[in-house]
Amino acid sequence: MSIKKLFTAASAAALLVTLAGCQAPAAGPEVPIRIGASLPLTGEFSQGGADTQRGYEVWAALQNERGGILGRKVEMIYKDDATNQNTVVSNYNQLLSNENVDLLLGTQSSLLNIPASTVAERAGMLYICASCASPEMFNRGFEYSFFSQQALASEQGAAFADWIIGLPEGERPQKVAYPSLDDPFATPAVEGVRKKLEAAGIETAYADTYPAATKNFDAIVTAIRDSGAEAVVQGAQFEDGVNFVRALNRANFQPEILYQSSSPTYGQQYVDGVGVENTEGVLFSSSYHVDADTNGNKEFVAKYREMHGELPPEDAADGYAAGQVLASVVESVGSTEDQKALADWLRGNQVETILGTLEWNKDGSPRGEFLLGQWQNKVSEVVLPAEAATTDRITRWRGGES
Amino acid sequence: MITLLQLLITGLLVGAVYALMSSGLTLIFGVMRVVNLAHGAFAVLAAYLTYTLWSLTGLDPLLSVPIIVAVMFGVGWLSYNLVVRHVRGSHISMTVLVTFGIALTIEGIAGFVWGNQSRTVRTAYTDTSVQIGPFFLPTATLLAAAIAVVLLGALFLILNQTWMGRAVRASAVNESGALLVGVSVKSISASAFALGIATLGAGGAIIAVMYPFIPGTHYQWIARLLAIVVLGGLGSLMGAVIGALLIGVAEQLATQYVGASWVEIVPFLIIFIILIVRPQGILGQKLREDATV
Repeated sequence: MSIKKLFTAASAAALLVTLAGCQAPAAGPEVPIRIGASLPLTGEFSQGGADTQRGYEVWAALQNERGGILGRKVEMIYKDDATNQNTVVSNYNQLLSNENVDLLLGTQSSLLNIPASTVAERAGMLYICASCASPEMFNRGFEYSFFSQQALASEQGAAFADWIIGLPEGERPQKVAYPSLDDPFATPAVEGVRKKLEAAGIETAYADTYPAATKNFDAIVTAIRDSGAEAVVQGAQFEDGVNFVRALNRANFQPEILYQSSSPTYGQQYVDGVGVENTEGVLFSSSYHVDADTNGNKEFVAKYREMHGELPPEDAADGYAAGQVLASVVESVGSTEDQKALADWLRGNQVETILGTLEWNKDGSPRGEFLLGQWQNKVSEVVLPAEAATTDRITRWRGGES
Repeated sequence: MITLLQLLITGLLVGAVYALMSSGLTLIFGVMRVVNLAHGAFAVLAAYLTYTLWSLTGLDPLLSVPIIVAVMFGVGWLSYNLVVRHVRGSHISMTVLVTFGIALTIEGIAGFVWGNQSRTVRTAYTDTSVQIGPFFLPTATLLAAAIAVVLLGALFLILNQTWMGRAVRASAVNESGALLVGVSVKSISASAFALGIATLGAGGAIIAVMYPFIPGTHYQWIARLLAIVVLGGLGSLMGAVIGALLIGVAEQLATQYVGASWVEIVPFLIIFIILIVRPQGILGQKLREDATV
């Protein structure tokens, strides 16, 4: 072999080796599916963020026990957005550009999901959020965002409003107060109830939004008491919901009907915050019940207890359901490559989750109905709709028949 | 009229707690020109310590105030010597950055130790109120305000009747002069910082009884406390008390007569108007731009 031929052969071999090295590894069973999510693990929404993360973790653990998705293990990559709208944007950009994730799950709260979803939309990535009920999420013409609960915030109190409207004339409140946290979830939830009740001729005695920094509710409760309201519908996250109930007690003002949009769903922490005797009769909207006979709920509850030693709160269940939706759509489409195909599949199909059957409108908003829950005898029950109810009794706040 | 008086009463009670919490912030600025952005985080840390004592031993949170005050004095002294003293005398932006770093560190540690779940301290008197005629006085707030008055009184006595207090005030007014008459300004600064955090510790124990908290709660507190000390005049203890009472009452009145959504804006409007008339705040003094520590 001449030197020239030897050089040519060596060059060709080197080129082949180089090309082989440059080739991307095939996404075989040994390569995990990387799923990225940013969550408020610190800052003001860290409580809900931590619960959602637990839901994601339990889902990933169970999914991997079942062999993963498409035969590939699931690997979760989390970033902490510190309840900051700017950080959440940079986190999702990093997940896409630095972490090279295959799929995305959403962050916690509409406040953070609204900016986060713009990153996913720009990148053409499916964005399934477990906690993004604000109508503002779905009026922007986005194609890739989907909410994995049953209804938007504006519809979450529908069952409660219908129950009030259906009460006999003598038991129906004539005047209702609507205090609400200034938040993209809480305000539409309260407005949805108010719209229905006003249309039914029930007078609005008080309506106002308070900022997130509000600590002392004595003045708000004084104003509501002076308004003559017989029922209170509060749009509340956790802390303000607890503070409000405490202020009601301090002012010795006890409306017969008390509805809070979110805080009562925090389970034991709510009980610890307001005191068990004050939970009796509090009504709330809920996506989930721990005893629900839904797809995978028993496994979820058992695994959650095994991993965390307690019953799952609602945010954890919502996180788990988001994982179920993601797994279902990817298994059905058969790949993570074509994100548009994933989004299109969700628009045309239903998914069975621990929250029940979920289906979506063209804009990614869900087409379903929320549960109406009530604390009764230290237990969180479902009172409406009748087919999902765990009890047929609805009581007044602090007891009394209804 | 009854409603107005009720709001004035609750506003003053809440304002007394604000005063206790903001007194340390203004004291620290007065002595060493440090805007302590970690003040809210120290308060939340004190609330967690109170919660731990209460949940482990059942000790009433208000009775645990002396313990928390002592522990927080130590925390303050350590924080000063480990971190703050290195930036004392630097440009104010440096002190702001460093203390914000301390706040984030405390938030992280609290999240690690206690978790990022809401904690609450419920006592037999948490939801009760004392009824006097048509007025209700929330029991916890009433007790908290009483403790705040006692502690603020003690702080005034320390600052006005003891050698250490006179040294603190001398350091605040004229550091060079204080040095000339034998005051160890470095040592006094550490004591003043620790004293400010200790006073705040009492406030933290009180807020543990009044409101649920998570590590991230400190952002809400620091915004409110800064507003109070700016209104009262940075560095003025009496100014902080007046500012706190004004803000407490303004929040209550704004909620009732302007709307709950204005509750944050109205106090800031008051601050804005007062600062136009008195840029140094109600009782604050104009700072010399050329004065360096």
